[in-house]
Order: sequence, then structure tokens, then C-alpha cells
Amino acid sequence: MSQGIAHRRRRRRSPLGSRWTPYIFLAPAAAYIILFQLVPLVQEIYLSFTKTSLLNPSHSVWVGFDNYVAAFQSDTFQQTLLVTLVYVVVCVLGSVGIGLLVALLLNSRFPGRGIARALVTIPWAAPGIAIALIAVWMLNAQYGVLTRLLTSWGIDVGDSGVLNNPDLALPAILITTIWQLFPFTAVVLLSALQSVPEELVEAAHMDGANRWWSFRVVTWPVIKPTVGLIAVLMAIWSIRRFELIWLMTRGGPLGSTRTLVIDLYSQAFDSKQLGMAAAIGMVGIVISLIIVVGARLITTAAERNS
Amino acid sequence: MKTRARFGVTFRMLAVLVVLGVVAFPLYWMFVTALTGDEALFSGTPQFLPDLSRIGVFADALAQGDVLRWLLNSFIVATGTMVVAIAFGIPLAYALSRFSFAGKFLVALALFFTQMLPEALLVVPLFAIFRETGLLNSLLGLILADAAFVLPVVALILMGAFNGIPREVDEAARVDGARPAGVLFRILVPLITPAIAAGAVIAFFTAWNEYVFAVTFIYDKELQPASVGVAGYIGEQDTSIQTIMAVALIFTLPAVAFYLFAQKYVVAGMTAGAVKG
Repeated sequence: MSQGIAHRRRRRRSPLGSRWTPYIFLAPAAAYIILFQLVPLVQEIYLSFTKTSLLNPSHSVWVGFDNYVAAFQSDTFQQTLLVTLVYVVVCVLGSVGIGLLVALLLNSRFPGRGIARALVTIPWAAPGIAIALIAVWMLNAQYGVLTRLLTSWGIDVGDSGVLNNPDLALPAILITTIWQLFPFTAVVLLSALQSVPEELVEAAHMDGANRWWSFRVVTWPVIKPTVGLIAVLMAIWSIRRFELIWLMTRGGPLGSTRTLVIDLYSQAFDSKQLGMAAAIGMVGIVISLIIVVGARLITTAAERNS
Repeated sequence: MKTRARFGVTFRMLAVLVVLGVVAFPLYWMFVTALTGDEALFSGTPQFLPDLSRIGVFADALAQGDVLRWLLNSFIVATGTMVVAIAFGIPLAYALSRFSFAGKFLVALALFFTQMLPEALLVVPLFAIFRETGLLNSLLGLILADAAFVLPVVALILMGAFNGIPREVDEAARVDGARPAGVLFRILVPLITPAIAAGAVIAFFTAWNEYVFAVTFIYDKELQPASVGVAGYIGEQDTSIQTIMAVALIFTLPAVAFYLFAQKYVVAGMTAGAVKG
């Protein structure tokens, strides 16, 4: 017995353990993610090259790139791409822009700062389902508080309300999304701002720099990497976003709020076209990849130039 | 100079109040709507103050139909998701933080890549897998699907926390003869409890708030979580709007309250994971 322990203790001496050690810790999570994310993803890639009905998924016909070709040739899909583009760009600009302003505000000195920093995260914690529900009620055609506000500003929302108006539905959804997202960017950017050395900002002030100048010269270089990262995250999260749009408009009216993910879900579960749905999903993933790789290339190019 | 500074503080506080007003108004409006009588609700002018004598609407809401059952189902799914995500996330984060091994970059890349996968896309193949394995229409299936999506985020948060602990701490223990698992659970895990709490909160409320999987995988009314139940109220005519808002608020408040309570750790963990990961 004691001999065994002595033997094991000698083996334990090796500071890094065996070279298999990291894989033993890694294996459960890797197996889990492969089983629940990568295997389904591969199945979706395969499905995107087939014609498969939700009603009889075991019967599927290989059609090559037909789904992709059909999608890109259809007007409705082109509209979907445009809506997605607008949605993603406005979400990123809105959430990062407002988030940065709020972060700068919360980073300045005022009484009650700690409480304000905590309270600002409310939208990010609230469930999307509840937000969709209250947004629909606030935009109710007859009794919605926001409808009344808009009408009093002279904006005619029409009899059926904002969410049934093809010109107003997307702006309404964008504002709701940004409302939910900006606290997260604000909180992340706030923590980046806290690593800006205060002496440098003060020194810039002493040298007579105005606020904008000291922001550009001192603050911006420190927070720039975080801003870039959060913008990329917001972009790929926006492409993924589903429940708020689905519950508020289901992609309508007239497809004015139909993003890629809304389109893919209704292709799969309303039209029962699993192949087409998968192809649309792949387009979304490819766009995300382009954004990530593009951002990476821009970052490395900028680093090389400086 | 002094007046300027004082004006600056006043101005800032006003701006902060505006931001907080915008942030809190929808939830406040839920509360006000729940506590407004029919007559006032459907009159010409909105009521901005709640009628506190109607507070019983919350008790009525809980007694309504399956509301308690929904909340219990949500609680089970969220707790299960939290346990699974933390159990798989801790060893994964430890491996990524403390070892160098072939394929490490690939693993980190795969974790980031999962952030691009829409739930709405994977819901179809997962549906098929679950149907074959009997996980469809079960809370366990929902737990497994939810945890798979939140696991990478949890792992990145925990990795950030591990990275923040100097390697000398565990190397000293290693030299004293501790094995890697002992180092992890006896020395490192206690040191990163705040980050584990943050990861647990995020996992819990991701599952609490999750909708796509829940609405697709669960078709038994008895097993519906609250997200599906609350979403079912949209466009529905039979339940009074006050009851709907009360249920929605009961569903929302735990998430918000818990985040506010744990937010220091969540933010620290989230930013460590997001920025350094």
C-alpha cells in the first residue's frame, strides 16, 4: 500500500503530467459540442444540397447547388438579404455608438455611479420574449403608449399600427434590438475605459487639449481593440437573432422585417422546405465568416501600418 | 472653474437619468399596465401611475392556468443547463488556460465559431436527433440543447478567470505533488468562484429566456417552459392584458433581479471572457 503511494508520488512529480492530460480535460466538452453543434451543422450543410420535406425527411433528393441558385434568383430572398444587411449594420452602429456614449458617461464622476452602472444592464437581463410582448403592447394600434406618442408628434402610423406598417416595422424592431443590446456594449466598453490611465487624460487636459482631442489621442487607442471586438460580436449576434423579430412581426409586413434567420425558420416550419432553409442558414454563416475574417484582415493591416 | 465643474456634474446626472429612464421604462410600463383598470387602460389618455389597489392581479396571474407549472419547468431547465454547462465548462477552460497542446488553436477557433451558429438553423437537425433518441418533448433534451449553446460562452468566461491567476500558484502545488485534477479542484476552482458564479448566472438565464428550442422541441402543454407560455400571449384575446403583463413581469423579474445582484461578477467574467478570449 505505502509502496504504491510512493510509486504514484514519484510519477506525480512530473510538473506537466502526461501529454494526454489536456485532452482528458478537453474531451467531455469537445465531445459534447461536436455532438450537439458540429454534427447538426454538418447535417445542415448536407441538407442544403438536397430537396427535403419536413413532413418526410428520410426521403431527400440530392440537387446540388439548386437551392442556392433558386434563392439568389428570387426577389424575396434579395429583399431578405437587404433587410439583413440593414438590420446588422444599424444594430452594430447603434449598439456600439450608443454603448460608447453611455460608457463614457458612466465612466465620468457623479454621485450614484455604482447604482447607475448596475441599473443600466436591465435590458440585457430581461428575456427577449417579455420584451417582444411589452413592445407589441406599447405599439398597439389603438391603446399603445408609443403609438399615442408618435401620433402626437404628427407621425401617422396608420390604422393597423406601427408593426403592420411596412415603412415603420423595421425601424421599430431596430430600436427595440438596440435598446436590448447597447447595455452590453456599454458595460464591456466601460471596463475597457477603466484601463485608460487617468494621469494621461489629465496630462492632456493640462496641456490645453479639449475633450475631443484627449479622447482621440489618449482614450481611443486604448479602447480601439475592444470596440472592434464588440462590433464583430454584435454583427454575428445580430445575424443570429431570432425571437424578438419572430414574435413581433414574424418577418412581415410584406417581408419588411424578414432577416435570414426568420426566412430560414419559416422555410423549414411553414413551407416545410428543409433543404432551402438549410441553404439560407449557410448563407448567414458565410456572411458571419466574411465579417469575422474581414475584421481580422483590417486589424492586421492596421497593425502593420502603425 | 468651479461652477463649470458643478454644471458638468448636474448635466451628467441628467443624462444618466435619461438613460436609466429609457432603459427601465418598458418594464415600468409592464408594471403600470398590469395595475391599471380596464376603463383607464382603454380610455383616451394613458395612465402613467399604477393603481396599487389592484396589486392582487399578481396573485391572480399565478393562479391563472398553467403559470406555476411553466415557471417550474423553466426553473428545472435553467438549473439543468447551468449544471451541465459548468460541469463541462470548467475542465475545458482549465485545459485551454493551463496547457499547451496540439490543436489548441483549433479548439479556441471552434468555440468562437459556435457564436455564429443560429439556433434557428440547428433546431432542425437537433429535432431529428432528439426524435430518434427519445429526447424530444422532454426537459432533458431541452437542457442538453440549451447547454450546448451556452457552454462556449461559459468556457470563455472561466478561461479568462483562470488566465487571471498566476501560473506560479498551481505550479507550486504541482511541485508539491498534486495531480492536475487536484490542482484544478482544490486550488484553482476555489479561486475563481466569482467567475463560476457569473458563468452559472449566464447559463441559468440563457436557458430561462430561451425560446426557439423550447417552442420546437416541447409539444406537451405540461412540459412547456414559461418563455413559450408567455410568448403564446402575443396576439391572444382571451386573457386580459393586465394578467398577461403580470405573468410577463413575474417571468422577467427573477432574471433582472438576479443579474443586478450578480452583475459585478457577470460583467467582470463576461469582459474577461469577451476581451481576452
